[in-house]
Amino acid sequence: MSLLTFAQWVQSTPLFTAIRESWYVYPAIMSSHLAGISLFGGMVFIVDLRLLGLAMRKRPIADVVNQLRRLKWVGFAIVATCGILMLGSKAEEYYYNAFFRAKMAVLALILVHALLFRRSVYAKAAEFDRSGTVPGLAKLAASLSLVLWTCMVICGRGIGYIEPPLDKLHARVIEHLHQRAQSADRIVYLDTRTN
Amino acid sequence: MILQVTNPLNSSELIFPTLECIHIAGFALSVGTIAIVDFRLLGLGMNHQSTAEVAADLAPWTLLGLVVMLTSGPLLFSSDPDMYYLNWVFDLKMVLLLLAIIFNYTIRRKTAYSGKSGTRAKVVACVSITLWVGVVFGGIFLAFI
Repeated sequence: MSLLTFAQWVQSTPLFTAIRESWYVYPAIMSSHLAGISLFGGMVFIVDLRLLGLAMRKRPIADVVNQLRRLKWVGFAIVATCGILMLGSKAEEYYYNAFFRAKMAVLALILVHALLFRRSVYAKAAEFDRSGTVPGLAKLAASLSLVLWTCMVICGRGIGYIEPPLDKLHARVIEHLHQRAQSADRIVYLDTRTN
Repeated sequence: MILQVTNPLNSSELIFPTLECIHIAGFALSVGTIAIVDFRLLGLGMNHQSTAEVAADLAPWTLLGLVVMLTSGPLLFSSDPDMYYLNWVFDLKMVLLLLAIIFNYTIRRKTAYSGKSGTRAKVVACVSITLWVGVVFGGIFLAFI
């Protein structure tokens, strides 16, 4: 099974068909996606800005990093769930969308970022507080995080600007109609002969 | 004589989507920092600090986010005012936005700095979150009406 046939199968399932065919469910999911970004995206900003020494400077770094960690994960779960629901309902369109592919690549980089810096930076926040200095590595991690999440927003908004390739999406429909037209021709022909 | 006015915003295809991204970043910062205070009022995060401390720390960032959001927003509007003018969801969004901003700088601010943390504070936090989520829903739905 190719990725394309998998995408076609996913969006044909009853749940995703229902999402696609309702006029308000899809925008409601998209709104929830954006609401999640607005409620929890600020936490990413603030944690990174704290590491860079720009926000909440009076509070220990460990306090800011540790007390927002769980909420950040809750937010990520909400935003990702809405994202998957949108993806599933229009999987074939997304398959052809260059911005969607770029967004998934950025998401993969965010995962790599988390794996790379979790131990070396985020788990060491209390050490930075004790020593009173934030190492360059931590500032690099914070800057990269801001850049990567900005790229996520840009790619996400970009998805809506790519026109779906209707010729490809409708290829199967057109082929089906063509076959039906051909068989319809034969029926007409037979009818005229019997008259 | 008819004066022909061309909005420089419509001169390039890239300007509108770029403004949209700036708008999203603006409200992620403003609503996001407001939400951190709301979650603190609900006792869900930043509990080592008092609500007043969290609110004071984040106030400048909220303001910065609001400035970005309220600059990019009207510019987006100016690209096609007729479309927005006839859109009732846009009107609803503007009412919610006005209520959310007024609520933020009156009742919610007072509650956050009072240091109280009872049911009243939790209700205030929920109202604040609901208003901002309503604004976001309005922003998306206006494009689907």
